[in-house]
Amino acid sequence: MGIGLKVRRLALLAGMALCALGLSGAQAAEKHKIFLSMSYIGNDWQAEAANMVKAMAAHKSLADKVDLQVQVAGPNAQRQIQQINAMVQSGAEAIVVYPISPTALNQVVKNACDKGVKVFAYDAEITEPCAYNVHIDQLEAGRVTAEWLVKKLNGKGNIIAVTGVPGTSVDDQRTKAAKEVFAKYPDIKIVGEAVGMWSQAVARTELSKILGTRNWDDINGLWMQVGCFTANSMQLEAGKKTSELLPCAGEGSNGGRIQMLPEGTEVEGAAPPYAPAGAQRISYASPPYSGALALKLAVEAIEGKDVPKTTILPLPVVTNETIKLCDEGTWAEMKAGCNAFKPSLVSNPGWFASIFSDQAPEVGLAAALVGQPED
Amino acid sequence: MSSAAVSSPVSGGFGLRRALMRNRGALIAAIVLAILLFVVDWISAGPLTYFDVSFLSSGGATSALAAIGQTIVILSGGFDLSAGAVISLVNAVLASSMDPMAPGASIILWTAVGIGVGMAVGAFNGFFIAVLRMQPIVVTLSTMFILQGVTLLVMDKPGGFVSPDLGTFYLGDAITGWLPMPLVLIGVVLLAWFWLKGTRFGTALYAVGSDTESAASVGINVVLVRFAVYVIAGGCYGLAGVFISAQTGSGDPLVGNPLLLSMFAAVVVGGTRLGGGQGGPVGSVFGAYILMIVVNILLVLNVSAYYSTIAEGTILVLAALAGSISHASVLAVQLRAARARLAAWRAGILPSQLERVDRRLKIAEPSHGQRSPASPRPAFHLRNAETLRYALPAYVCLLVIVVVTQIWLGRAILNPGYWNSLLVLSSFLAVLALGQGTVILTGGLDLSVPWTIGISGIILAGMVNGSDAALVYALPVVLMMACAIGFANGFGIVYLGISPIVMTLATNGILQGCALLYSQGTPAGFSSPMLRWFMTARLGGLLTPIVLLMVVFVVAAVLLLGRTPFGRRVYGIGNGLRAARLSGIGVERTLILVYMLSAVCAAVVGIMLTGFSGQASLGMGDDYLLPSIAVVVVGGALITGGRGHYLGMLGGVLLLTALQMLLAGTTLPYATRAILYGLVVLGAVMALRERRLQ
Repeated sequence: MGIGLKVRRLALLAGMALCALGLSGAQAAEKHKIFLSMSYIGNDWQAEAANMVKAMAAHKSLADKVDLQVQVAGPNAQRQIQQINAMVQSGAEAIVVYPISPTALNQVVKNACDKGVKVFAYDAEITEPCAYNVHIDQLEAGRVTAEWLVKKLNGKGNIIAVTGVPGTSVDDQRTKAAKEVFAKYPDIKIVGEAVGMWSQAVARTELSKILGTRNWDDINGLWMQVGCFTANSMQLEAGKKTSELLPCAGEGSNGGRIQMLPEGTEVEGAAPPYAPAGAQRISYASPPYSGALALKLAVEAIEGKDVPKTTILPLPVVTNETIKLCDEGTWAEMKAGCNAFKPSLVSNPGWFASIFSDQAPEVGLAAALVGQPED
Repeated sequence: MSSAAVSSPVSGGFGLRRALMRNRGALIAAIVLAILLFVVDWISAGPLTYFDVSFLSSGGATSALAAIGQTIVILSGGFDLSAGAVISLVNAVLASSMDPMAPGASIILWTAVGIGVGMAVGAFNGFFIAVLRMQPIVVTLSTMFILQGVTLLVMDKPGGFVSPDLGTFYLGDAITGWLPMPLVLIGVVLLAWFWLKGTRFGTALYAVGSDTESAASVGINVVLVRFAVYVIAGGCYGLAGVFISAQTGSGDPLVGNPLLLSMFAAVVVGGTRLGGGQGGPVGSVFGAYILMIVVNILLVLNVSAYYSTIAEGTILVLAALAGSISHASVLAVQLRAARARLAAWRAGILPSQLERVDRRLKIAEPSHGQRSPASPRPAFHLRNAETLRYALPAYVCLLVIVVVTQIWLGRAILNPGYWNSLLVLSSFLAVLALGQGTVILTGGLDLSVPWTIGISGIILAGMVNGSDAALVYALPVVLMMACAIGFANGFGIVYLGISPIVMTLATNGILQGCALLYSQGTPAGFSSPMLRWFMTARLGGLLTPIVLLMVVFVVAAVLLLGRTPFGRRVYGIGNGLRAARLSGIGVERTLILVYMLSAVCAAVVGIMLTGFSGQASLGMGDDYLLPSIAVVVVGGALITGGRGHYLGMLGGVLLLTALQMLLAGTTLPYATRAILYGLVVLGAVMALRERRLQ
């Protein structure tokens, strides 16, 4: 009896109206069974990353080889532990995981490795040595952006820092690295620090709180993990001219990238504040393609290729000197150097634009938006 | 049934049957769990082996242990929001103080350390709740913030080391191949509970939970019982922290926090009634495992990611429904009532079918608006003494915070920008406070706020897409959808008899899934210029338009709760459901309206946030759930319902927002801010202490 039949029987029997039974199994005989364990799916980055993983699995180079099942653990590490175990039990060959915690999964990951399952963590890290990790160097991210800001300010000025989720390794590494840079310049003062939770909406609330007791004129620069698009919008609302926007080191949202284009650039679908403003920016991000790349590497590892335990992705940095608008957002076009997308294609300015990878020609803009691979 | 443990006048005879009835909740939870296990076994590739069972048992153990503690608190009529934070703290303490170089670790010592930390936190909670007679929800909420700060001070990022000896012990086998250790651990804790339940203390615990005043008048030391309850519960959370440390072999300062909501769901699914007096920890253990095994069910069914929260919500509701199938369940009662109504309608004796005659007794002309000179209208502060006593503290604290802001950061009192920011930032919570506050006044709780906000914002932004004209139809559509969400909540609670926490938690999950499906993970569209102008413009460089609207809103809210029949009914229901029903209040209709009001308020916040941020994002409502409850309680409302004034809640909103603005203006580290925030909230509600029991 196939799993599909069993499932249908159960659905009938229990009368459960679960409309989402992706049936698999029957045709997956020779395919590699790979699971994706996501954490919390309720934010833009996670959803975008999931789309890219799905697109990678659907690409013609992998579609015949991979049977991918996507599961969500929620924000609870306990559940992810149980989920990974259940995946091992149901015969996974590889598990691609967005780890909720870099340490809490160690035991279960080790257990999976012992059974010959390849475990690939993307974006964040798993410290268990048998796991494969695919991520950027967060220390470098903090350092490079802080150095850029110091240079823009000529080593002098008041800055506001907006950090990520406190208690996570990523936030800790980025913030510590940046503060080490700032500490070298005694004339750089951090006059306000807020917890931004890697969200544009939170960044706006927190900046509004800070500006309740402070003026934009007292501030010379911004270092934000996420929120430069919002900060620029707020300055424009407060009556600043585009030429007066403060230098902002921050995230790779498409809204922020569009604002970096020289003012007056013709962009389809642009409407202020989601419009070119010549904002002084350095834009970086944990790229959402890391999950897709991890899946590709996982297949290579199953097929016996030699895959390094740690893949450090190049830090995707875009500055005003390198910003370039894409026409359609294909991989080939991004390969040629474009890195921002028209608002008519990407209507959400908070959408993360660092989707280009040299190593993943299978995924482009359509992959990130709707989960469709490149040809 | 609430007094089952206290007195059983009928003795002998139906002993077994009574025992079954008394433990119905736990029994049904056990049956549901067995069915789910059977389902997993049936549809997964291989048969369920000992290894699977061992794994399931360790997977749910942390939740189960914590849920036992939470159940004991709830049985005593309390509420503990600090449970998840205690687990994180214990994990951080163990992971940061064990020496990786040491050859072995003493299991007894470290278990004692964990339980000790938990009990110390419990004593802190217990002191404020039992001795100072403050509301559990606000004390434990403050404790939660304080502990999150302390945990980050102990360990600012994941790492540390927990000796593998602990893991070997707690995750190993008690009897190889037959009995996994986690089950033994839970068994031991449950046995301790049964022993405790049989003592005088256990009886007192149920008595206090059922009816505090009666308990006090028969000579039970309520203060001591309450204090002990929190200490014992703290010990349970501590043990859960030890277990998760053993399971993960390391530390993570955030590991326990997400366990909180599912813990409440486990307790309710296990048949324990919120508010106290009924149920027990055994059911909660089953409840915790039911929630855990859902993970496996979703995996074997291969439910795709976007649907997983929908499926979870559905399973939660089904489990809760299964627990309420009986002759006495709300659903059955409602069905019988509907049949009776139908029969009455056929016979033509429904009140609405009878001839409308004024049957009131003739009493001497009432003196409308005229008071005899002998009893003059009492002064304002006397008439509203109760309201003032509970609403004023928030405003007094607000004043203090503003003065501190002025001294510490300068530019507050005389800076119009400060006041404008304060009011704009407060507006979101002020709207939410009306919805959540009204729900709390009726003795409920609305946990579906986050994704009602999220889905409303996402749908609005998608429909409007930058066009002012589209607002004309987008706003009504979103508000109608909110009405439907609220109606669904209310319907489940009123007619299906599902507890508000479970129903709204399930709705929240279902809405999250719907938002993901609708947006395909990337919310499209953005706010229209007018909405943006409303939330961010400065009229005359000073005032944001929303502030003017807030004034209107506050007046309307005060009138709604204080001067309308609807408001009277809400207070009536909160003060006593039975009394309200007997005095002819349409309880069902009112409750449904209350949840609809809450959903509409959340939708309005979603719309406002979309205007404020310029776009909608997934998870935009996540940060508003706990604050929406906190402001209501800080403003003097009673979490069990019946007491509270909207102006008090508004004071709570302003106080918490002003406090956050003060903390944001400093460069204190986040951990310190969290601790300060918790302490101030705790201090602010000191004045709200209950009067001493007679």
